[in-house]
Amino acid sequence: MYTRKASSLRRHKWWQGLLARVTIAYAVGSLVLATMVASFTFAVAQNRLFDDLKQSSIDQFNSNAAEVRKTYEDLPDTENAEASAPQSLNQKLNRSDASTPILVRRGEQTGLSNIPEKDLPDSLRLAIEEQKRPIEIVATAETEQGSEKRYIIGMEMPDLDVTYYEVFLLADLEKTLSNLRNILIGAAFVSSFAGAALGYYAARRALAPVSRISNAAKEIAAGNFQTRLDLETDPDLAVLSLSFNEMVDALKDKIERDERFTSDVSHELRSPLMTLTASIEVLERRRNDLPDVAQQAVTLLSQDLLRFQKLVEDLLEISRMDAGAVQLQLSQFGLSEFLTIVIRNSATPEIELRHSTRDRDLTISADKRRLSQVISNLITNAAKYGGGAKAISYRKLGDAVQITVEDEGEGIPVKDRQRIFERFSRGGIEAGKRASGTGVGLGLSLVAEHVRLHGGKVWVSDRIDGKSGARFVVELPVGDQIDNDEEMAI
Amino acid sequence: MGIKILTIEDDERIRQAVTLALKEEGWEVLEASTGETALEIFQETPADVVLIDIMLPGIDGFEVCRSIRRASDVPIIMVTARADTHDVVAGLEAGADDYLTKPFAPKELSARIRAMLRRSRSADTGNMERIQVGELEISADEGLVLKNNEELHLTKTEFKLLVELASQPGKVFSREVLLERVWGYDYFGDGRLVDVHVRRLRTKVENDPASPRYVVTSRGLGYKLQP
Repeated sequence: MYTRKASSLRRHKWWQGLLARVTIAYAVGSLVLATMVASFTFAVAQNRLFDDLKQSSIDQFNSNAAEVRKTYEDLPDTENAEASAPQSLNQKLNRSDASTPILVRRGEQTGLSNIPEKDLPDSLRLAIEEQKRPIEIVATAETEQGSEKRYIIGMEMPDLDVTYYEVFLLADLEKTLSNLRNILIGAAFVSSFAGAALGYYAARRALAPVSRISNAAKEIAAGNFQTRLDLETDPDLAVLSLSFNEMVDALKDKIERDERFTSDVSHELRSPLMTLTASIEVLERRRNDLPDVAQQAVTLLSQDLLRFQKLVEDLLEISRMDAGAVQLQLSQFGLSEFLTIVIRNSATPEIELRHSTRDRDLTISADKRRLSQVISNLITNAAKYGGGAKAISYRKLGDAVQITVEDEGEGIPVKDRQRIFERFSRGGIEAGKRASGTGVGLGLSLVAEHVRLHGGKVWVSDRIDGKSGARFVVELPVGDQIDNDEEMAI
Repeated sequence: MGIKILTIEDDERIRQAVTLALKEEGWEVLEASTGETALEIFQETPADVVLIDIMLPGIDGFEVCRSIRRASDVPIIMVTARADTHDVVAGLEAGADDYLTKPFAPKELSARIRAMLRRSRSADTGNMERIQVGELEISADEGLVLKNNEELHLTKTEFKLLVELASQPGKVFSREVLLERVWGYDYFGDGRLVDVHVRRLRTKVENDPASPRYVVTSRGLGYKLQP
């Protein structure tokens, strides 16, 4: 069986794979989702925390403002009382950790805190003067420690000539929010990683049947037609498996039909050929009993019978190859001896065999009969169109062996170098036209098919020594060492 | 007395032409068109060589081969349509000594027959000493192989193969060499002939053919008789 290797597919970038794409999509999707959820959570938490803070601040401000009012309403009009009022007030005021009261009485700030009144935003003071109710504002103040956010509430009590503020630092809130933000960002990343992992897992799971099918297809391509897919429990996949199995059945049927047809045709063609061969041989033996004319006829007959036989053999060989019904009979043998014998058995045994001393004992694992057909077809081709092969050489090249057949003809024009390996094409003659030569135009196409079956390639070029002539190169993999017992598993 | 060849072939014209050509080569020829008649003829007049076409109506060539093999060690040549099929191995396993593919030249067939008869005779009349290997005692002169003093029934080809291996116990013989010495083939003989005959030989001489003690495979090289 021969197959084109799956590895010969164009190489793709890693991210073009389905698995990678699904994984990336899951990762991006979960990152987007997690970001949205985190942003929303953050916004809600921010509002909520700020509202709570505001509410408690306002409550505290109102109770403290009432305290201030009470203190100054009840204040005796003495300087002494006036001076000690902030002190006593300081003890009565309800002060949370982050709040600072500011009290301005008769235009003077009392010593309740270290934040000067003039630092407060002008807009707040203006608003307080105009409106006789508590005013709140969020402001940013520049301090030595950097900028700091403050929530400020203030109120004027004109009857007492008092303006009372409370400044709440938002640092804690800010810190809480910043922690929350970090946690949310972290969570978003974690969940996108989790998404990627989930995507990878899901894609692996989803692709598992694909890889099973791919393995099965490989098996089948390698000629193992017993391979079937197990029917999946998943109904969607069961349909796929079922169609796949049906396809394999159909394919197997087709190949078997083709093989049967080839075998039938083969039988039908060989039977009359057998009779002809045996009969002609009798005639050849009795040649001397025949009149001259009959002798000439017998000569013509036996020559063309040989040609006909060769044509039938070649056609059957090719149709077997087309049907994929060919199995190589690999064995391990020395190239030097092999080529020497092929050359000796050819019509031109004077061809020179060249190789380096290093390659003297080179062995190859191949189908001996087919490889000898390859070489002898190249020799025959050279004899017909290239003035006869002059030299055959071989050499090892990495894991491959190159066998080269050179002639001294006119060479092959570049435009014909592909075409000559096609069926029924002949040197200098367009396919389809009749020629008086003895070849049938299948020789080189068989060479190409045989070589391809061995996983090798064949091409033709000019001679590299600059002389005129064609240079056919057959490149074959050296092949693995073969065990006799494996070889017996025929 | 001439050498008798029994040719079994269902195609009338092929049979006539082959018979004609074989007679021209100087052999005596017996003809049969079916396996059944072939077996009857063989019982009455044992031939010296049997030529069997695998594709026969009624009982097929393999079965004819097995039936003849049960009764006789006569050389059998199978005729198949193709060389690269399981038919060849199946035919050899059914007991054939050699095979030819259609269309073959009767001259080639004659050469094969001569090679077979030569090896049958040389095995009968060769002058080798008795060789003792483990429980095996090979007597080339008498054409006998004894295992623990009991005679083993080998075909002539199996016997010749064993004698060839026993001529130098421990030496590895490549398939090419065995093909040439036992079958008379040149370099392009079919290695499966050797492989299948070795397998058949093992079923007869080995105690456990799956892990042979005598006829041992030498990886990538060939076979040897383990002394």
